[in-house]
Amino acid sequence: MTDRLAVLLSIVALVLMPTSGVAETYRWIDEQGNVTYSDRPPQPKDNGAPALDAKPAPDARAPELKASDTKAPEPKPSAALPEMKTLELKTPESKGLTAPTQTPKRFEVKGAPPAGAMPRIGPTKIDDLLELAGVRVQLAGLLHRVAADLRPPPGQMSPADQAAIERVLAQSLRHETIYAAVRDAFRLQVDRPNLEAAAAWLRTPVARKIVGLEIASSEPGVEQKVADYAASLKANPPSARRLELLQRLDWVTGANETSADLVAAIARGLSSAVSAAGPQDSRLRPGQIEDRAAQVRARATETLREVRAMSMLYTYQTLQDEELSEYVRFSGTDAGRWFSISMHKALVGAVGRAVEQTATELVRAVPLERWARATTPARQAVK
Amino acid sequence: MTIPLRTIAVAIMLSLCLAPVATAQQRKAVAVGNDLDRAQAAFQGGRYAEALALARRGAAQAPTSARALTVRAGMAEFMGEFEEASTYYDRASALTPDDPELIYRTASFAVRVGEYDRALTQLDRLLALQPTHVRWLFQWAPTYLQAGLLRDHPSLEHIVQIKLDILTEKGDLAQARQLARSYAIVRPGENYCAEAQAKSRDGGGEREDTFKAFRLATLAQPDAADCIWWYGQWLSDEGYVRLGRLMVIEGTRVTASAGNKESGARYLRVRLGGKREVPKRAEQLFLIARQRYLRDGDIDGAVRLFDESIRLSPAFARPYNYRATIAADLGDREAALAWLQRGVQADPDSWRTHRNLGKLLAELERYPEAEMHLRKVVELFSDDAGGRLALARVLYAQGKYDDFAKEARAAVAFLANWKAPVPEVRDFLAKFDRWGPGASLPPAPDPRIIIGWNYD
Repeated sequence: MTDRLAVLLSIVALVLMPTSGVAETYRWIDEQGNVTYSDRPPQPKDNGAPALDAKPAPDARAPELKASDTKAPEPKPSAALPEMKTLELKTPESKGLTAPTQTPKRFEVKGAPPAGAMPRIGPTKIDDLLELAGVRVQLAGLLHRVAADLRPPPGQMSPADQAAIERVLAQSLRHETIYAAVRDAFRLQVDRPNLEAAAAWLRTPVARKIVGLEIASSEPGVEQKVADYAASLKANPPSARRLELLQRLDWVTGANETSADLVAAIARGLSSAVSAAGPQDSRLRPGQIEDRAAQVRARATETLREVRAMSMLYTYQTLQDEELSEYVRFSGTDAGRWFSISMHKALVGAVGRAVEQTATELVRAVPLERWARATTPARQAVK
Repeated sequence: MTIPLRTIAVAIMLSLCLAPVATAQQRKAVAVGNDLDRAQAAFQGGRYAEALALARRGAAQAPTSARALTVRAGMAEFMGEFEEASTYYDRASALTPDDPELIYRTASFAVRVGEYDRALTQLDRLLALQPTHVRWLFQWAPTYLQAGLLRDHPSLEHIVQIKLDILTEKGDLAQARQLARSYAIVRPGENYCAEAQAKSRDGGGEREDTFKAFRLATLAQPDAADCIWWYGQWLSDEGYVRLGRLMVIEGTRVTASAGNKESGARYLRVRLGGKREVPKRAEQLFLIARQRYLRDGDIDGAVRLFDESIRLSPAFARPYNYRATIAADLGDREAALAWLQRGVQADPDSWRTHRNLGKLLAELERYPEAEMHLRKVVELFSDDAGGRLALARVLYAQGKYDDFAKEARAAVAFLANWKAPVPEVRDFLAKFDRWGPGASLPPAPDPRIIIGWNYD
């Protein structure tokens, strides 16, 4: 099962956009039951009622910038676009471990409170902040992808095993449970002044626009769009200023490190669960599992960086440089850094534990030998 | 140091090969032979715990078989079960008091546990078994005859080598050198130090050959400070801290360089416990415990031996570090922390213990405490670039950005001289300079640039 990590790398990179500067967005459900997120209110043709009222908060102001925030040297025009690699991370190890071929189900987040109902006066609740930041929705996207990658390729398991796996995935990767774990872990990091400053930023129009884009990027099926976009960049490369801003955004949010730590947490969870299910004498000690997680992290870091660079270009393609610049500035403030660091810890811890629990349940429901058989290519029939 | 673990391993193999399968007419003897054969196979296969178990069974089934008892004693010695080894060597000796091989084994065992006088008595007994003329030649013949004599009578060379170890371990290097010269173990005019350095540079041969070459250099050339120092450091790295300490002291004493004298004094202080001597038995228990943990994955056995080593030598820092490593390996970081804190109390100048403690505290995000210990690390050993990078990371985590930059730059500059460019740190510093602090902590790689310093 650890072989599936190669696939998970791409998931994590794609889903973990910088989470520090995200805001309310519009969300509605159409007649077919599809959930749509957008940075614009639903139009009549959308034929659905808005679930979130996300009017701009006219009184919200971005925190004052520090002098150092404006000191970045003017980037020179550059044709030095980093070589774009395809986002598919299929390695020999991941043969037969690709996501199921059926159309991915759209994910839905239940119980998201209407943003318009959030109090603008008085202390901001943690749930409100996370809602503003789009954490709930993006977490759903992440879990959806994790579930897809833990699922065996279609047709390789017996119907009974497949059903058991689906049951485990539905129960162990329950969005509300894991969101609660993230929130509880985040709560331990709370710093009131920074929380309020972050909330104020998240209520700005530009932040809300950004969160809309990030949520859209966390939707299942976005990989192909990113790949198409990557292909288009060869003919139409981004400006040096845009690249500089994105690199800086990655720096101030530490998003790449979050992705790498998340990969390590997933590796740790999978190794731990698989090891515990194996024979007693071949089980790994916690220290050995840590070593493996560190190795996976080290191997993944560079790949993640490349994947992430492309994802960021895609996600923020409609954003003006000035808007992106605002995002960078906020992320570099004390409040921005606090939010990034706190979210990093909360997310890595909660997702890691969830993956371990899910993997434990999966190998309990379907023994390891049957998983191993499922990943072995079927023999050719001999005529 | 003629009897490192490998030598014992060879001796055990020989004992196992000579096991009494010839007396297999009786069923019991057959069973013993089978057990010893299986013990041999287990030992060859690196399954030492199983080999010891089989040797125990063999000795229990044949309590009057000197060979079975010796095999059990040898296996027990190899595994650090010294009480058991002592008991079974004694039982075997009672059955075959004049067996030269057994006498040699008991002598070397006595050296291993620091019972030097007992070892010398055994060596006298071994010598007494030789024919009179051989004894006479060994004791009175001029040096030029000794080389041939030792070649023709290997047991005599064993006697000399063990005596050399005893003398050096007792700190009487002058007498050891005289003994080595008088028995032609070293020859005057030969540059053993140059040979040893060449072997070390080439790096192609067996590690143990290089070690032996430095040992000869130490015995032959009292002024070869570099080689004596190297020998001491090698011994320290391998865990032979008692002799290592003596050699480092000697190398520091004879060096003409003030810088080297300072370096030697620091080495003694931060790696070898300063004035705290470690009893031989505690050192050997530590050494074998480390093998049982790292080589065999035998945590229970290793823990028992580490604990015994600590009991015998409470100020010896190394076993505390391994107890902490094992605790962390088992997922108990609080216990690891407690072991390291005990280690720091036991030896407040132990560079490695402060380093491990600082890094663990950093992992636990207890940054102010981590900073305190990591500052101590770079104070104790300012060339520790990995420790300095760990300190830089902890400073950054606390928002002490200027201090971070200073420490990180110092480490990068130092590492550049060692051709260890740490590009990830340079990249981080460049971004920090350009954009100010980011949300991620800086990388803190631990380049292994200094031989031996990572072996503790």
